[in-house]
Amino acid sequence: MSDAVFRAVAGPPPGAPRPNQAPAPATPGSVPPGAPLPGQPLPPRERADSVRLKGVSKTYGNGKEALIDIDLVIPEGDFIFLVGPSGAGKSTLIKLLVRDEKASAGRVEVAGHDLGHMKKREVPLLRRRIGIVFQDFRLLPRKTVHENVAFALEVTGTPKRRMQPAVERALALVGLTEQARQRPDQLSGGEQQRTAIARAMVHDPRLIIADEPTGNLDPLISWEIIQLLLRINEMGTTVMMATHDAEVVTALRRRVVALEDGRVVRDEVGGYHREY
Amino acid sequence: MHFLRFSVRQALQGLWRNSVMTFAATFTMILMLILLAALVIVISGVEAGLEFVESRVEVTAELHDGLLEDRIAELQTRVEGLDEVASVTYTSKDEALAVFVAAREAEGQDISVFTGVNNPLKAYLTVELSNPRESEAVTEMLRAETGLVSYVPDQQTGIDRLVELTAQLRNLGFVVLSFVAVTVLLIVVNSIRMALMARAQEIEIMRLVGASDRYVRWPFILEGVFIGLAGAIITLVLLLIASPPISDLASDIAGSVPLGFNESLTLQIMGIVLGAGVGLGSLGAWISVRTYLR
Repeated sequence: MSDAVFRAVAGPPPGAPRPNQAPAPATPGSVPPGAPLPGQPLPPRERADSVRLKGVSKTYGNGKEALIDIDLVIPEGDFIFLVGPSGAGKSTLIKLLVRDEKASAGRVEVAGHDLGHMKKREVPLLRRRIGIVFQDFRLLPRKTVHENVAFALEVTGTPKRRMQPAVERALALVGLTEQARQRPDQLSGGEQQRTAIARAMVHDPRLIIADEPTGNLDPLISWEIIQLLLRINEMGTTVMMATHDAEVVTALRRRVVALEDGRVVRDEVGGYHREY
Repeated sequence: MHFLRFSVRQALQGLWRNSVMTFAATFTMILMLILLAALVIVISGVEAGLEFVESRVEVTAELHDGLLEDRIAELQTRVEGLDEVASVTYTSKDEALAVFVAAREAEGQDISVFTGVNNPLKAYLTVELSNPRESEAVTEMLRAETGLVSYVPDQQTGIDRLVELTAQLRNLGFVVLSFVAVTVLLIVVNSIRMALMARAQEIEIMRLVGASDRYVRWPFILEGVFIGLAGAIITLVLLLIASPPISDLASDIAGSVPLGFNESLTLQIMGIVLGAGVGLGSLGAWISVRTYLR
């Protein structure tokens, strides 16, 4: 990787405001910082594991078993890769974590909340604590970068006076302050994905889930995005990244959870492939 | 406040972007509301006419000759005591002749032929009814008084037919109106469905970032409300423009019958048109949101 690329992705320009986040307390049992949820608060959290799956299975209506007896704990502040071939269950796992789907069996906990017993009206509150990034960016084409990021606050009833600083902070974090007035079609793929990351970060989430965030990007730009996610992780946010990018996974030597046919077949620090 | 501003802005934007469907929905809404208003106006016109005719309904009872004054007075008191009866007036034989002669004179006839003849007319009671539709009961009661009353003419048949005609008109109107209302409803449902489809991506993102359901749904409900509101307001403006010529036409046809737009009818029509427009618009949107937004 060239120095130029590294510099480009190293973070906001000097003097830009830092996100209002404390460094990561990775020790279990400590109460992680985080602003109270807007609207109705969720009940207090019990433990500091960001994600905790116990015996989780998911069978779809057509009888397809997408996940089988998954046990997985992701402590606050971790950075993990989720790898596995297409159809292994990565997307289903992500859907369970954001309560897009309900587990058929087992217990899913995110930030201390049991999603199986979560009321429907509490789901939006959960999602404000989780930032999600997709391969296809999912930006609104008619809105500018600034508006795309602000949209996440707007539709969750954030008062206007709190919106502006939060959006500016998120854009500074991803280094897009200059491009705030541009529309997605005027941006490069990497910039679009950084916009999506800014949108995911604007609620100050405790957990970022990135589903193949570099799948549509060339290798150099992919590194840009990875560096950004690493930086977000360093600031205390738990990051879970589903990917096919063997080179990235192998180079970073982080925790890798491998799924195959709905089961966890490997969970260790290492590379993309099993190392014997 | 933030929520309301957001929803209204999203709704107006949605209507604007989907302008062809908005136009179609609003236009059919206007057609339906005009039909509805016309039905209300015609029915209330016919009813006003009917009431006018009915208010003229009196039952007259001709009396036998040679009755004693106090027997007549006693009958008069008894009839006056009935609930259906407003007042009873007695016209003697002489008065009856005087009225008859005066009427002929008014027609320009030579009245000298009536002087000196034996008065063939009967004395009679004129019964004003408090409820004109009860005339039959009063007629029956008077006819039963065979010792006093010689003849009670029938007056009901014409009115009955008018009442029946009004009822049929009302039924037919509501059947036609129901069909049109269902069509309007389906068009609104479809229009909101298109709006939902146009915003599918936006809805997905809203859910992703944790927007609560009301932020997702209300903009679309409001689109339906706005279609109804626009349809109702345009309809009322059209009626306002059209009402003077219609009033003139009505009074030409009906003559002395007091037809036209009085204040209570105007308010009633405004209420019905606004209520039907907004009600149907929001119902259609609600159905669409319930059906197509899982």
